[in-house]
Amino acid sequence: MSQVSRRSLLQLMGATAMATGVLGGTTLAAFADDSELVIGGSLPLTGVFGFAGVAIEKAMQDYAKIINDQGGIAGRKVRLAYEDTAYKPDTSVAVFNKLTSQNDIHLYYGDSTAFAKTISLELARADRILMGGASFATELNDPVKHPNIFIPGPDYSEMFSILLEHIAREKPGAKVVFVCSDSEFGRDPIEPGAARAKALGLDMGDVIITPPGSVDVSTEVLKLRRARPDYVIFHGYIKAPLPEFMSQAKQLGLETKFMGTFWSMDSSIWDDVGDVADGFMGIMPYRYYYDTEPAPMLDKIREMRGEYQATGYMQGMISAMILLESAKRVLEDGQELTGKNLKAAMNTIKDFDTGGIIGVPFSMAGNSIPVGRVYQYSAAEKKMNPVSDWINVGG
Amino acid sequence: MIIGTAKESYRADEALLTTTPQRIWMAILMAGLVALPFFFNTYWIYLACLVMINVIAATGLNVLTGFTGLVSLGHAAFMAVGAYAVAWLEKNTGLPLPVNLLAGGLLAAAVGVLVGLPSLRIKGLYLAIATIAASFILHFIFIDWRSVTGGTAGLTLEPGRIFGFQLVEYRHLYWLIMPVTVLMVTGAANLFRNRIGRAFIAIRDRDISAEVLGIPILRYKLLSFGLASFYAGIAGGLWVLFFRVVTPESFPLVTSIFLLAAVIVGGMGTIIGGVIGALFMTMVPELLRYVVDFLSPVIPNASLILSPVRTIVFGALIVGFLVFEPQGLAEIIQRIRRFFRVWPFRT
Repeated sequence: MSQVSRRSLLQLMGATAMATGVLGGTTLAAFADDSELVIGGSLPLTGVFGFAGVAIEKAMQDYAKIINDQGGIAGRKVRLAYEDTAYKPDTSVAVFNKLTSQNDIHLYYGDSTAFAKTISLELARADRILMGGASFATELNDPVKHPNIFIPGPDYSEMFSILLEHIAREKPGAKVVFVCSDSEFGRDPIEPGAARAKALGLDMGDVIITPPGSVDVSTEVLKLRRARPDYVIFHGYIKAPLPEFMSQAKQLGLETKFMGTFWSMDSSIWDDVGDVADGFMGIMPYRYYYDTEPAPMLDKIREMRGEYQATGYMQGMISAMILLESAKRVLEDGQELTGKNLKAAMNTIKDFDTGGIIGVPFSMAGNSIPVGRVYQYSAAEKKMNPVSDWINVGG
Repeated sequence: MIIGTAKESYRADEALLTTTPQRIWMAILMAGLVALPFFFNTYWIYLACLVMINVIAATGLNVLTGFTGLVSLGHAAFMAVGAYAVAWLEKNTGLPLPVNLLAGGLLAAAVGVLVGLPSLRIKGLYLAIATIAASFILHFIFIDWRSVTGGTAGLTLEPGRIFGFQLVEYRHLYWLIMPVTVLMVTGAANLFRNRIGRAFIAIRDRDISAEVLGIPILRYKLLSFGLASFYAGIAGGLWVLFFRVVTPESFPLVTSIFLLAAVIVGGMGTIIGGVIGALFMTMVPELLRYVVDFLSPVIPNASLILSPVRTIVFGALIVGFLVFEPQGLAEIIQRIRRFFRVWPFRT
């Protein structure tokens, strides 16, 4: 029995190897022509960031459909070519190499800071591709160091600036504490954030660093109790351990207001937290699916998708919008689709109207869109409501 | 059918490849490795380089775990030491790349020896925990020794340069990574034809008996840790030259588990096991992408729908091999060899 199984296994392996070899050979020839514009994507459809990747994919498909229904970009149909990376940088690079060897790609979406940093030099060298992505890392907001990359929103330091400006307007001289995860993601905006808080006349308290993935935060909450801040800004998390932090702080009678950055701001992740999440605030660079202010693109999205779309969806939509707007400007000028031309075209975007996804027209002088707004979660309504106007922290 | 291998000299008896078919297959493999960059595109060359880096790291771990019987879950941290060392030397000194790579390996070996010190007192799961603890300490150093490691942002490198030639494309890097891999794997294979390798195996099989036989246990255990870490350091050094960026998150604990899985799936205690294990663990998830591609015309948005299935299939394949082939993929190779050795008769 065992012998038969082993032999069968061997045969199966051989067949799989042959099949994949044949398939590998056949797909290499499938190159795009000038009648289409391909957006490549290393997307995290599985793994810890899978929730965002799935939403981003839907948004990019939807925007491609909207554009194709309008006749495409300079007569070219838009197509998405993407694969799952499971949020692993080496897999993201593999996907990038696979897709760019199979398709004529000039526009790309990357899934992480690590991938963006790894591929940036190659993008600059090859000078063929403009890349946006899921990363808001401050380090990427450097047009000299990362000439082919953009951030489809404010970088993390700019997010902190927006939150701090809101705090300074709401309660001048307030005491602020940062709580960040011990990761590249978490530590990103600490130093510029602290400097900005001081510049705004805020009382900068401690910076509390928590180990990545920590659940027990009682020690950190005791530090908060000693500091008694008016505001806490969390960064480097999506959800855990924020509910635990807020719950314990409320039990200790602290009247601190809690804030987060973009990836903590999807209202659906707070729905099952209940009253503890009530009043949680944070920076959101885009409008929510259910916002009631006039926004023709949101109307269109609601028409295409009848159910709530997460914040990752809006991020994917804006990314596709910027990529295709840049390509449109290059093609309409009769230029070649090179990385430099695409980036230069992107930097000509001034007072751009996103159909209301970003509430104010914006310009892209550098690598980011330094605009955002503070929203607050209502546990009763199970949604985020705006509590500030749109704040632009760009120079 | 081969009925025996007549050896007429000590030289023939000591040879790595003892039969003509072995030599022919090895020649074909070497010719294939040399020809690969001329026939494959960037994607496949990228994967070939990644496989070879993993082969070096897995071979090192196989020396430690498969041959010496010392379990380590800190191998990724040793790779990180090599990567940081090479990155720092490349950025801050004008030393030639091979010297930097060697220095990265030696520094990792020194750290490995230090981490291996408790191995005289503890083994098995306890040693595994000790190596995890060591990797946490190293992670702390990578984050907080900012002047050297660049803190959480890590170090970013310009393309390496060897003999005046800049290694910009994967195609260029292949000509560095491939010979180093061949050299390292050959070195490991040679190790088990001499006193050191035999001492490692004796310690693995029964350390007390080995000591009774006169083998200095501590020295050889530390040597095994040092050698394994040297391999990890070289793999880490090549990794950073390949990706050009290293951060404290570049080598997480899951990388150590990945390498241990590669050794177990490939076959512990055989050189070919580490090679095949690394090949399997790196390539199968990628090859499964082509199955998804194949189904794309039939299933709309196949990448979106089938990506979780792909991950499950990969996991199921590992479990399947462990159930049906507990001695690893290397055993399948042995069975194929036995089959052809007596062909046309059945084994």
